[in-house]
Amino acid sequence: METQKRTPWRRWIVLVLMVAGFILGGIYAPVQPEITVAAEKLIEEPLTENFLGFAGPFYLVNTLPTLAVTIVLLLVIGFAANRSLKKSQQTDLVPRGIGNVMEAILEMLYNMTEGSAGTKWAKAIFPWFATIMIYVLFANLLKLIPGFESIGVIHHAHGEGHAIAELGGGWANILPEKLEHDGYILAPFFRGISVDLNFTLSLALISFFAIQVMGVRAQGLGYFSKFFNTKRMFKVPFFGAMDFLVGLLEIISEFAKILSFTFRLFGNMFAGVVLVAVVASLLGKISILPAMIMMFELFVGLIQAFVFGMLTMVFMAMATQGHGDEEHAEH
Amino acid sequence: MDGNILDAMRFVGAGLAMIGAAGAGVGIGLSVQGALGGMARNPDTYGNLLTNMILGVAFSESIAIYCLVIAFLMLFKVV
Repeated sequence: METQKRTPWRRWIVLVLMVAGFILGGIYAPVQPEITVAAEKLIEEPLTENFLGFAGPFYLVNTLPTLAVTIVLLLVIGFAANRSLKKSQQTDLVPRGIGNVMEAILEMLYNMTEGSAGTKWAKAIFPWFATIMIYVLFANLLKLIPGFESIGVIHHAHGEGHAIAELGGGWANILPEKLEHDGYILAPFFRGISVDLNFTLSLALISFFAIQVMGVRAQGLGYFSKFFNTKRMFKVPFFGAMDFLVGLLEIISEFAKILSFTFRLFGNMFAGVVLVAVVASLLGKISILPAMIMMFELFVGLIQAFVFGMLTMVFMAMATQGHGDEEHAEH
Repeated sequence: MDGNILDAMRFVGAGLAMIGAAGAGVGIGLSVQGALGGMARNPDTYGNLLTNMILGVAFSESIAIYCLVIAFLMLFKVV
């Protein structure tokens, strides 16, 4: 197949957007966003008073729209990859376009799984690893899209707020000046979903239970002898009792996995948000530096998605292998 | 000079919480040192070492991130 020279006009769009962002940042100075640990409510009243009958009021918080966008995006990519692969199967067996990209990524991940979990369990462990990794990757990277965390509902601040300027048509712009009273703050429509403890905690719980299930599938009920170790209890009383106590400690370290999974992802992404906000407010009208920090965010998001998936995979591999006197990896 | 002693101590506490980041820095340095030494001796293992090094660095870094979360919780008056 002969290659024709393509005119790379798309890269000029990127350059023009960068310059435009730089100039616009000089005209409309960046405002330090309101940093909250919990997700902000878009509507003050709860959607339902008592969700599912027992769970209390259910608010429309601004991580829910992002969750919807993420899931729709993943579904679209999945269908597109499926169609692309089917088309290549019917023609000449050469995957092209998005099917090729997904095949390359998944093959890389599968080889990695086989490397650390062995060929026997790689088939069972791989879907968990790949799903968690791709999902968290999209969750982390989606907030780099312009408009995320900057367009939203303006409402009255309880404490200190900012002045606003009307733009017409119900839209307003937040100004950098601070007001003691009658100020306004912004609750953005879209907030990165990994900057919400609920998301990271639920993923950590899913991964934790999947690890236990994988251990039971591999070793049967003998898996729990890791926690309640009575194997040597009656043969060598002293060391048997020691083993039992170590097994109890193992339970604590198993539950600490949930905590460390949760706070690793949440802490990294939340630190990114705060970093961007602080840097934006440090320099005022010069807006090139927050863009640089955003590039760093891209890297952190990729690494954290990789680490979350990789850790799930490694813990699952450890659970399938059973235990003897091997050393336990620290987490 | 006026102000709230509680606000002042909040900043002091956030600063103290970040002392833990020193240990994470030492940990990251050690793991990178080991990985680079391995790469220098045996360049073929580059890919494998890099993956595992990034994993180790992420573990050490997460300790610093816990400190950061505690510091943020104090700064933004969550607890």
